[in-house]
Amino acid sequence: MRSKLRRSILYWLVLLPLVVVILFPFGVMFVTAVRPRAELFVYPPTWGFSEFRWENFSEMWEKTNFGGALLNSVYVSVTATVIALLLSIPAAYAMSRYHFSGKGAYRTFLLMTQMMSPIVLVLGLFRLMMALGLVNNLNSLVLIYAAFNMAFTIWMLQSYFNSIPRDLEEAAWMDGASHFTSLVRIFLPLAVPAIAVTAIFTFINSWNEFVLALTMMRSSADYTLPVQIYAQVAGRYQVEWHHVMAATVLATLPVAIVFSWLQRYLIRGMALGAVK
Amino acid sequence: MSKVLQKSVPLLMILPGLVLAITIIGYPIIDLAWTSMQEVSRFGKLSGFNGFDNFAEVFADPLFYGSLVRTGIWTLAVVGGTLLISMPVAIILNDDFFGRGLARVIIMLPWALSLTMTAVVWRWALNGRSGLLNATLMQAGLIDQPVEWLATASTAFTVEILVGILVSIPFTTTILLGGLSSMPQDAYEAAVVDGASGWSQFRYITLPLMKPFINIAIVLNVIYVFNSLPIIWVMTEGGPANGTDILVTYLYKLAFRFGQLGKASAISLVMFGILLVFTVLYVVLLSRNEADAAPEKDVKDEI
Amino acid sequence: MSSVTIRGIKKRYGTLTVLHGIDLDIEDQEFVVLVGPSGCGKSTLLRMIAGLESVSSGSIAIGDRVINDVPPKSRDIAMVFQNYALYPHMSVYENMSFSLRLRRQAKDVIDRKVREAAEILNLGKFLDRSPRQLSGGQRQRVAMGRALVRDAQVFLFDEPLSNLDAKLRVVMRVEIKALHQRLKTTSVYVTHDQIEAMTMADRIVVMNAGRIEQIGTPLQLYDTPANLFVADFIGSPSMNFIHGTLHIGASGAHVQTENGTRLAVPLMASGRDGQKVVYGVRPEHMTLTEGDAGAPVIVEVVEPTGANIQVYCKLGETSVCAIFTDRHEFRPDQQIRLTCPLEKIHLFDAESGLRL
Repeated sequence: MRSKLRRSILYWLVLLPLVVVILFPFGVMFVTAVRPRAELFVYPPTWGFSEFRWENFSEMWEKTNFGGALLNSVYVSVTATVIALLLSIPAAYAMSRYHFSGKGAYRTFLLMTQMMSPIVLVLGLFRLMMALGLVNNLNSLVLIYAAFNMAFTIWMLQSYFNSIPRDLEEAAWMDGASHFTSLVRIFLPLAVPAIAVTAIFTFINSWNEFVLALTMMRSSADYTLPVQIYAQVAGRYQVEWHHVMAATVLATLPVAIVFSWLQRYLIRGMALGAVK
Repeated sequence: MSKVLQKSVPLLMILPGLVLAITIIGYPIIDLAWTSMQEVSRFGKLSGFNGFDNFAEVFADPLFYGSLVRTGIWTLAVVGGTLLISMPVAIILNDDFFGRGLARVIIMLPWALSLTMTAVVWRWALNGRSGLLNATLMQAGLIDQPVEWLATASTAFTVEILVGILVSIPFTTTILLGGLSSMPQDAYEAAVVDGASGWSQFRYITLPLMKPFINIAIVLNVIYVFNSLPIIWVMTEGGPANGTDILVTYLYKLAFRFGQLGKASAISLVMFGILLVFTVLYVVLLSRNEADAAPEKDVKDEI
Repeated sequence: MSSVTIRGIKKRYGTLTVLHGIDLDIEDQEFVVLVGPSGCGKSTLLRMIAGLESVSSGSIAIGDRVINDVPPKSRDIAMVFQNYALYPHMSVYENMSFSLRLRRQAKDVIDRKVREAAEILNLGKFLDRSPRQLSGGQRQRVAMGRALVRDAQVFLFDEPLSNLDAKLRVVMRVEIKALHQRLKTTSVYVTHDQIEAMTMADRIVVMNAGRIEQIGTPLQLYDTPANLFVADFIGSPSMNFIHGTLHIGASGAHVQTENGTRLAVPLMASGRDGQKVVYGVRPEHMTLTEGDAGAPVIVEVVEPTGANIQVYCKLGETSVCAIFTDRHEFRPDQQIRLTCPLEKIHLFDAESGLRL
């Protein structure tokens, strides 16, 4: 017990600098978001401030069209997640349950698409969306996010599906169930947790995406949250930092909490699928 | 159900996703290849085939080489720094100590924040006059005058690399933790019985067994960092005077600021080629890991 | 209830052939055990009867109906899986009633059948539990209950006891046998454990490397194994094998072992003088003898089990095991003489492995 205490103190001392650097931006975010505008640009700069101004949040909401951007982000993320899952679940099921020719090639293709970052293709993607008439249309982002997330979702789902014993379905067939019935009544109920976790990660990925949203959405009414917040900062002479930070807090906090809670599932999924 | 139909069931199941992926990911690649060999007018109209002129222009462009070199430095420094910090952090987090759960959550926190948000916050924290980094350092008595962190290219680039390392640590630590937790406990017990010290346990058991995980962490990080735009774009937009441009930011400017579609396509293809090499490397590493793992399993079955 | 007729069944995976043409007739109400080492194809054969594996060639019929292309759900077969395959999101009651609900039987019929089966299997108090809350033996019973409610034509068992501990395995073995004696449903049971096979089967099918080695009642296999593989596989500890040369003279026949010992054997019609043979004798058929009779062996290890004494000896380079129910005293390195009644001796051709 003594040695565990000593070890704990030593470990925390080693981790301390990193912990401070990690928590620093969160501190900056909160402290700026709640301070009065007049105390933004003081000299010498200081952490202290005179009062908590929670009104910053409501002001920011009105002035920066935060609500509109929030709706855009929700629409894009939800739709992209639904499409990605609708296409990934059967594919992951096929990968997990069937032997078929071309399976190896398909797996390699998935790997390649996972490696292909959208940024290298951004110009081609823009021209594709031009051709489809989808620039300035949130659905362009839906399609791209769904496509680029699919490698990840198929991978995660497949590794979870593999852990659902095949003989449960076989038992259902012996009990007189058709393939379809066994899918609906045996397999899917067991796969629900895996599907939910995968959906949340896909949602967060889409929620946080920046470059493509910046490229495809040319009018401020169509901005998603990351672009909206970036637009408050870029190319402006006077940046309302307290509003920017308030927006950052609102846009980030819910997602960050969910993510911290689910992060262990990601580790598990990776241990099952990616690295193994 | 006929046999042919039965065989095509799995193919039908993967088909819809495959079609979407090929359209969204395959088409742009072909379009980029085509555009890169076109003369492009000032208004973004393609006005005819010009062979490899765009590539020639790229390879004659000093800004391209500057960005290429900085991309190398950026990738190398971020991946290297991340790995150097993540390895001890993962080892600590894998051990049992008071508050480990809290420590894990804190270390993983930067992952929960999107890169854009992180960069926006740091841009403000590094503000040359009133940024809270300056506040912290001045209140701690480390500096007398506020520092203009983002005003000169060299300090700006250094700071961006440090932020890059910070945001890469959670992912890397996760992979390494996955590896450490799959480490066979009996190997350590055997080593302790054989009289191995902490360091030689690390040197002769942990490190060799971790090698596949470290390799994958390196390759994946190289690919992510090489492609990462938000940090540099939000903090400095590649400035001042192109001093912090890397390939992705330079490419983005060419395409969407200056409308030089042909040249941007050419750079895209060059980057695509580099990425392809990394990807192939990754696929080879993965399949080699699988090959390593497979015979082990067979032996186990026989016993 | 019905017979199962298997004709020329082959199974190929690409270029790999795992079953090389199996012919087997399982009669109505019979309990047949497929036994063999892992990889012999017994589970594949069972899964082909179930419809979980496709048939590469040959035919399988239940009663008069060929079922090669009938999907599993329409074969009217119930199966107990090795890992039980209980639906984890359903209660015991829902697990057992699932097949009846799929067949849209009336609620009161379902309820009556489930409770009957639960009664038989002693599961009455557990019907509302989820499988997670049950012990291994109870899960096993639920898996059987799921088969029981069905009145299926054939029961299939795929190593159902292999996940239980040794004691429980014996208990369940007896229960399954009692159940079959009561219900008389045609059953096919796969196991790698020859004791399970011996104790439960009406007839045993010994399989090896995708072929049937021998089919017979337990005692037929024990008394007259058709070849070395069956002789070795059935019985524990295994039959002793001593290599030698058959000599047939006017005064009788004997086998000359490699170290020169002469072992008396009965005269066999199919044996030739000078033939290379394997002399087989079960440990429990060995007796101690005095004087010149019998073969001299050196005691190596003595294992008293209480019920009997197992003695491991050396005859030249060959290990020989003998079991005595009388309590003798043995010391390591002691020389003793062993013999065996002529009618208990098995002779096999050394080359083909077939019984002489």
